[in-house]
Amino acid sequence: MFEGVQRLAEALLGFATPLALANVLWATLLGIVVGMMPGLTATLGVALLTTLTLKMASSQALLILVCMYIGAIYGGSRSAILLNIPGTPANAATTLDGFPLARAGRAGAAMGVATAGSVVGSLIGILMLATISPLLGEFALKFGAFEFFWLAVFGIVISGNLTAQQDPLKGWIAGFLGLLVATVGQEGVHAYARFAYGSTDLAGGIGLLPALVGAFGFSEVLVVMCQPKPDVVREMRGSVVPRIADLWRYRRTAVRSGLIGTTMGIIPGVGEDMGAWVSYAAARRTSRERDQFGKGSVEGLMAAETGNNAAVPGAIIPVLTLAVPGSAPAAVLLAAMFIHGVRPGPLLMIESPGFLWEVVAMCLLATLAMFVHGMLLTRPLLYVLRVPRERLMPVIFVLCTVGAFAIAGRVFDIWVMLAFGVLGYLLRSLHYPLAPLVLGLVLGDILDKNLRRALVLADGDLAPFVTRPISLALGAVTVATILLSYPAVRALLAAPLRRAFGAPGR
Amino acid sequence: MPQQGEAPAATMARADFFSALVLVALGGGALLEALRMPRFEAIGANPYSVPGLVPGVLGAVIAVLGLFLLVRSVRQGGHRRGAAAAGGDAGGARLWLALVLTLGYAALLVGTLPFALATGLFVFAFIVLFERPESAGRRVRRTLSAAVEALIVAAVVTHVFEEFFYVRLP
Repeated sequence: MFEGVQRLAEALLGFATPLALANVLWATLLGIVVGMMPGLTATLGVALLTTLTLKMASSQALLILVCMYIGAIYGGSRSAILLNIPGTPANAATTLDGFPLARAGRAGAAMGVATAGSVVGSLIGILMLATISPLLGEFALKFGAFEFFWLAVFGIVISGNLTAQQDPLKGWIAGFLGLLVATVGQEGVHAYARFAYGSTDLAGGIGLLPALVGAFGFSEVLVVMCQPKPDVVREMRGSVVPRIADLWRYRRTAVRSGLIGTTMGIIPGVGEDMGAWVSYAAARRTSRERDQFGKGSVEGLMAAETGNNAAVPGAIIPVLTLAVPGSAPAAVLLAAMFIHGVRPGPLLMIESPGFLWEVVAMCLLATLAMFVHGMLLTRPLLYVLRVPRERLMPVIFVLCTVGAFAIAGRVFDIWVMLAFGVLGYLLRSLHYPLAPLVLGLVLGDILDKNLRRALVLADGDLAPFVTRPISLALGAVTVATILLSYPAVRALLAAPLRRAFGAPGR
Repeated sequence: MPQQGEAPAATMARADFFSALVLVALGGGALLEALRMPRFEAIGANPYSVPGLVPGVLGAVIAVLGLFLLVRSVRQGGHRRGAAAAGGDAGGARLWLALVLTLGYAALLVGTLPFALATGLFVFAFIVLFERPESAGRRVRRTLSAAVEALIVAAVVTHVFEEFFYVRLP
């Protein structure tokens, strides 16, 4: 414990340079602006900044990316409150109570509550990042090929389930599509180029960053341009400074949402939007002012905004300890870490134990900057919302094109960006979630290597997949997740449970 | 959890029917291709380490999931209805315009023309074609400001990427 505090202090001191602090300030501000603009998501912001910071020193580059990530998830609340349009998908739950509050002339207060919730959520997430990561890292050292195989499958199934609750089948399809796309190109055992058909570009594989820039940037440009024009920004009244009384009154909601949000972040490929939705649902279930939810409840707004920001450090936990992203922006962060020579995974805590604390310090600085910007710049930043989409979207698309190209200097990456943009647009209009697709792209390699390694080790015997304890647990949870998503199975289980406990059915 | 842009159930069943067919074909195709991949028996490779194993399994899983979707959409009548009403509305026209502009820029102009020129043309065309000013006087002003924005974007992006981030541009 003491060692941790010492390492954190060292990491913070390491960032106490004018350059680092300036980076924190501008990157968080840019993150807020990106988050505010409907059509620009945290994923796109982090992906574009990754391409821009390729040549920087790795600690500065990662600091900038973390600030962008945290800033964007917070910034999305501005447009959710004022325009009833979530700035990023993570702020969808924020619109439910944020916009009614703004319509009732309490936009300033709503902004203040969002700021307070985001800061509290972020802090709870950071605390869990610092405490859970070492434990999870140590536990993950027990993982062999069998466990990593199950982890990949579990990640796809749970992510598909939670991001497409209406229709888990589509979530799973998206996830498995991502896994399949990830197999394109040279594989790691025999160096055979799969699905390449003689193309050296395809043999190099589909890059994660160009694919993400396409799926979250280009497809978003298309979505924004087809939608009808959004309403004009309304006038904002009231102080944006959060009231301590509100905070104290809803302290339980804030802490609960922080814990739920972080947990949602840890679950692979689920992320900030579910952090907000689940926190919001939990707050509504337990609230004494339940009837106010959806009509401008401060508690609901607090739950949503605490939940999504808590999910950010939460999503970084599996990135560091398992090299599995907790959310789509975290997937970009993971890719960026690899680019910058950091090797996340179970060995990270042993190889470079100081890195966790560097990340904790980055999150703390970003949270601080978010708070300062939220207090000082809320009003001037509202002008950002007046930029017409016709003027903004072409610039975004230019950046997507240059960004995709910049990573490796390959024109092929521009084609990947375009293909994933169109694919992402189609999938979204058919109600397939994109998060499992992204997770599949990242996990494809893990699944491929570990399934074959496990089968070679066991000489084709499938028993170790279900007899090793951790394997069994991961496998059982995966199968249970699939089965429980069928209403028929749930009904079958509900009847005996009801008899056993005598509880009235819902 | 609310979903954005609820489509009518019938349209969705129709769309699901077609996407399921694509998925079954894609998964089946991947499986067949995986079976055709080399197995390196000559060099004594372990049969469980062959490159086609994972793509084959994934292709099979996608085909099966696609079949589930197909069966579900058929049960909902997705195979029967006449062509679903898509496109033709204002949103559809805007989508096609956006697609033509973006694909034309990234796939054709970039690489053929100098980067700054391609970017300037794209930004200018995008703004002019999407903005619908109400009066003729406004039209002139909007067009001028679009040209200014295009110039600035082209110059700034080119300069910043080449000089500041050391990125070679296409």
